[in-house]
Amino acid sequence: MAARPRVVAALAAHLRDLDAAEEAFAGAAASCLALAEPPRDVPAWLFVAGKRRAVDALRKARVEARTAERQAEVAEMADILTLPEPIPDDRLRLLFICCHPAIAPEARTALALKVICGLPVSAIARLFVVSEQAMFQRITRAKTKVREAGIAFELPPRRDWPARLEAVLLALELAFTAAYADAGGELSADIGEDLGAEVERLALLVAELLPQEPEALGLAALVLLARSRAGARVDGEGAMVPLSQQDCGLWDRARIEAARALMEQAARAGRSGPCQVMAAIQLTHARRAFDGAVDWGAVLRLYDVLLALRPSPMVALSRALALSQVEGAEAGLAALAALPAERLALARPFHVARADLLARAGKVAEAKAALDAALALDPPRAERLWLEARRAAL
Amino acid sequence: MQFMLMINEDESAYEGEGGAALLEATLAGHMMLAEDLVAAGVPFSGERLKPAATATTLRFDHGSVSLHDGPFAETHEELGGFYIIDVASLDEALEWARRIPVPKGGIEVRPVWPMGPEN
Repeated sequence: MAARPRVVAALAAHLRDLDAAEEAFAGAAASCLALAEPPRDVPAWLFVAGKRRAVDALRKARVEARTAERQAEVAEMADILTLPEPIPDDRLRLLFICCHPAIAPEARTALALKVICGLPVSAIARLFVVSEQAMFQRITRAKTKVREAGIAFELPPRRDWPARLEAVLLALELAFTAAYADAGGELSADIGEDLGAEVERLALLVAELLPQEPEALGLAALVLLARSRAGARVDGEGAMVPLSQQDCGLWDRARIEAARALMEQAARAGRSGPCQVMAAIQLTHARRAFDGAVDWGAVLRLYDVLLALRPSPMVALSRALALSQVEGAEAGLAALAALPAERLALARPFHVARADLLARAGKVAEAKAALDAALALDPPRAERLWLEARRAAL
Repeated sequence: MQFMLMINEDESAYEGEGGAALLEATLAGHMMLAEDLVAAGVPFSGERLKPAATATTLRFDHGSVSLHDGPFAETHEELGGFYIIDVASLDEALEWARRIPVPKGGIEVRPVWPMGPEN
């Protein structure tokens, strides 16, 4: 159902209960679908209907509750159809609430992704490389804590923002990773909005609210740079176009310029961090639109820094690819061989990178096998078309 | 909603040289905090407890009860006292908890289970 995240965020802010908000939305969405004629403003209708359902649920649970008082808060169904109320934009507020230090660190970001971005638990589990069951429990525990511990549903005072910023930025970064991997737009279609555009809006908002935080600026720059390539990422047939083969004439230079300005502003703070380094890597790629070539030596050095700041097999994988551009495919393959293949067995980028390096090293049969391994991991349509074309071309 | 702020602190901090002065300063801090709570209109109660050595613990095991000398858990930080405050949210409770004078230790903040017809 379109607009789900927006409506759930508004309901959660209103009801002060994340579970109740999701339940109320589900109920309202079902009623909406059952209507003979769809309401004019669907999100507004869902918000009001969701509020009403939540109050009904409350009333049922509390037999002696002050029903009249609460009833007065909600309009009758007839009014809803004629008088849709505007939906407050509460997502940033909720983002900071989900990243409350009283919530377990490993659950904050996951909760934010679930509630604010509307990502399905299965997608969040993939981002954190844990089982869906474990992620479900983590999110459930976090929701219970928010509800039972009395966490405030107000935007925290400004001085508390920096303490929550790391988790907020990580949530936005992961949401964007999910959106970016979805070149063909299947996930966005699933959750009912353009997730990449929404993350961009939120990241720019955070950067505007916290201009003294270089990592907030770095993340906004990172998102802008990735978004600048939106028009070049998919070809006429709907197949993904990898970064190195994109027509940089299709890149959005205004976004690249805005990102560069944000990064200069961030650099003045003199505190580096992973978001700024990732943005610097993407800016180095973006320079191809101006310089005609990519400075792979610079990319490699930046990945060395990123690997030190945030050691992970996925960063090491990207570093191996950069290394192969500087020292050749064999060097890249040697770097890949040092990675924990077992842990990466379910990661498509690992197999795609191997296929690329094997093909460049002339090992066609092994490259095909690596592409088969990537195709077996259920890639989204755009990526599948690209992988199939590569396999056919080998 | 009501929150209990449980002060777990290292009693030994108040022993030995300088211990008496530290205790005096801490108690003065509690008095100031109580005045601030009153001034802010926050309903509250609270008590200081005698040292953990004075504790007696009852242990229950499906019908049998046994008595033990000493606190519930042997740790280097003991429950030294508590406040119960009535504020709007965890965030406000944490704000007040931050202001409790604790030379060394921790404060556990927990919502009080609301008892009433609605619950």
